[in-house]
Amino acid sequence: MYTTDSIIYRSDYDILSRRSPIPEYVPSHLLYPTTQSTTILFIVEYAMEAISHAGTVLGVLAKDGVVLVAEKRVTGKLLDLSSAKEGGGGYGGSGEKMFLINSNVIGGVAGITSDANSLVNYARSVAQRYLLQYNQDIPVEQLAQRLCDMKQGYTQYGGLRPFGVSILYAGYDPHYRFQLYHSDPSGNYSGWKATCIGANNGTAQSLLKQEYKDDMGIDEAIKLVLKVMSRTMDSTTLGSEKLEIAVLTYDEAAKKPKAKIYKPIEIDGLLLMHEMSKKTEEAMKS
Amino acid sequence: METSFALTGKGYVIVAADTTAARSIVKMKDDQDKIKELGSHLLMAYSGEPGDTIQFAEYVERNIRLYQIRNLYPLRPSAAASWIRRSLAESLRSRNAYTVNLLIGGYDLADHKPTLYWIDYLGTVVEVPFAAHGYGSYFALSLLDRWAIALTRGRPRRHTDILLRYHNPEATLEEGLATLKRCINEVSKRLIVSPDRYKVKVVDKDGVREVEL
Amino acid sequence: MQAQVQRRTFKSGMPPVVDDDDYHCSDAMWGSLAGFGSLVKGVPSFVIPSVPDPAAFLRLHTDDHADPSCKIKIQHGTTTLAFRFQGGVIVAVDSRATAGSYIASGTVKKIIEINPYLLGTMAGGAADCQYWETYLGVHCRLHELRNRERISVSAASKYLSNLVYSYKGMGLSMGTMICGWDKTGPALFYVDSDGTRLKGNIFSVGSGSTFAYGVLDQEYRWDLPDEEAQELARRSIYAAGHRDAFSGNTCNLYQVKEDGWQFIGNYDITKLHYDWAWGGSW
Repeated sequence: MYTTDSIIYRSDYDILSRRSPIPEYVPSHLLYPTTQSTTILFIVEYAMEAISHAGTVLGVLAKDGVVLVAEKRVTGKLLDLSSAKEGGGGYGGSGEKMFLINSNVIGGVAGITSDANSLVNYARSVAQRYLLQYNQDIPVEQLAQRLCDMKQGYTQYGGLRPFGVSILYAGYDPHYRFQLYHSDPSGNYSGWKATCIGANNGTAQSLLKQEYKDDMGIDEAIKLVLKVMSRTMDSTTLGSEKLEIAVLTYDEAAKKPKAKIYKPIEIDGLLLMHEMSKKTEEAMKS
Repeated sequence: METSFALTGKGYVIVAADTTAARSIVKMKDDQDKIKELGSHLLMAYSGEPGDTIQFAEYVERNIRLYQIRNLYPLRPSAAASWIRRSLAESLRSRNAYTVNLLIGGYDLADHKPTLYWIDYLGTVVEVPFAAHGYGSYFALSLLDRWAIALTRGRPRRHTDILLRYHNPEATLEEGLATLKRCINEVSKRLIVSPDRYKVKVVDKDGVREVEL
Repeated sequence: MQAQVQRRTFKSGMPPVVDDDDYHCSDAMWGSLAGFGSLVKGVPSFVIPSVPDPAAFLRLHTDDHADPSCKIKIQHGTTTLAFRFQGGVIVAVDSRATAGSYIASGTVKKIIEINPYLLGTMAGGAADCQYWETYLGVHCRLHELRNRERISVSAASKYLSNLVYSYKGMGLSMGTMICGWDKTGPALFYVDSDGTRLKGNIFSVGSGSTFAYGVLDQEYRWDLPDEEAQELARRSIYAAGHRDAFSGNTCNLYQVKEDGWQFIGNYDITKLHYDWAWGGSW
């Protein structure tokens, strides 16, 4: 027997089965001695912990753009990647973790993929609704705020499970130009010059701290993220089957931001250019 | 009869509205301000059904203020006009629609351009170089139109063409105010019950301010 | 919850038109009103005819122009006036009630004593004015109890204006002046059932208002002595009573001063006429 807010539950008819708000990554012994509200706070902590094991996503802000790069975890010989080759997929990204949220914002996600898909869908609706109301692209921070309002709600109210997702938002708006934001499952968000979520984020952060320069252009930023990625990823070599890259710049001719999520073949080309691909390394070895 | 005018010039928008509050044939008040300052760089002249006008104007004013409180920066004039248009269009299909006509004049700090929007109670929005609402529009618009005709013909060649330059988007503030005076004088001359006083406000890079004609 | 400032809505059972772009994340979804339950409700509700179009229903039964035998005859003809001056606010009205061409009463109180510092005048529907201005009195008192100070004339008139605006198009007929004294000194607002609310120095409302204005505008000055101001008000009401068939009988006169309103007197307009023995050409 245990109590939550003066309501007595029988342990064989407990919240795990009836209300099922507790995700499987929360150890069950933690649930019983606590009340519902503190349990929820634990769940948020565990969601964050879960994210720190997810595929790495890096973001770097340059003076003329923002770049995101992500490590793909779902790989394998038998996986059908034909849709990813086209740079499409059901959610408009190149595969797993990069999403075009609006014409001025790209999102990179780490965590539970299904939760992420749901949040991305919500973010796109928010952006479209803003466009409908104001006839202009949603400012990046507002988009991040709206997602955080949603995420926060799930940490406060009973019977709900928080989103096990961290997101990096790379965006442009006329108020603050290029921006990079990070939001976590608790509903906190913050703006960054360079940041990292997912596995080995500590290592990546310290590398970024060392190597980041304020006056970087977008090409330098791409080079930097690839360099950091190559050091933090478990595998020694980089290739399009394990990487996703997206870049947001400003198209001066069209007077609007330009979002580009790289196709696998373009990623390979980019790696070749920066001499970081498998092939060049193999060539160097021999 | 309610009348409002607005025109753009080099780096500014002038918005003018009469100051009469009438009920049937009686002038209840002759110093009513019908131009709301929606923000540091945004003006809105409103006219239409008594009651609706002030209620809608205050609704708009507070929502635009709320946006600024939440996001620290104000809505850009184009976004504000879109939002206001949408509010009116949604209201139009409700049981009791706001019957309000608006002129939105603003200075966009993001691209440093003065912008003017004409909005009617049906939810039409048009970005225009000059605009008018009420009976005054029947006299003022043609007066202001002349410059547009001269422009489409290319550079003015004949002396008379030059005289017809009543609206010029590159005019200085003094020239703009002189053009506004032409509109007001024409309305006074030809409209049977014409307003005798107007409030005139200007918005430019330095913000909004009232000017005396 | 991203609630936006709400527009005022009718209370006829239709869903409120709320400009809330996050409608699917309402407070109700979270099972909470976030402690603001009493604030988000807006203006109080009032029973309206339970027919599909209450406004049309009321029009049908109250329009004595279209149908002289209509069920509800609303009192229309009136002269009321109020002006602000050095000595406060002078409020003067006639006392005639007409229903068509019939003088229904000659002793109507058209000045409503909302509280010791606030007066409201009555033009248009007598019942509407009486009901809503009494109702306004209740809320002014509640404001005093809650905030430990009297409501300003501006706030009181805004409350009334918002209230009648929420019934716009449903047949309310009021043209009223809210007169009082608050921290800002003497104050005068015109409020009508269209939802118009105007701040001003001189107002006159009703079928006789043009005649009253005719006298009032000629002699009005801010620094009129109290006696002269009262006399001007009497003469203005008399002028309207004389020229307007729907105004007349007696003149009720009040003055609002710093310590509240005072009833100055009730004057028979016919008697005024003979007292002054005006040598005109009638």
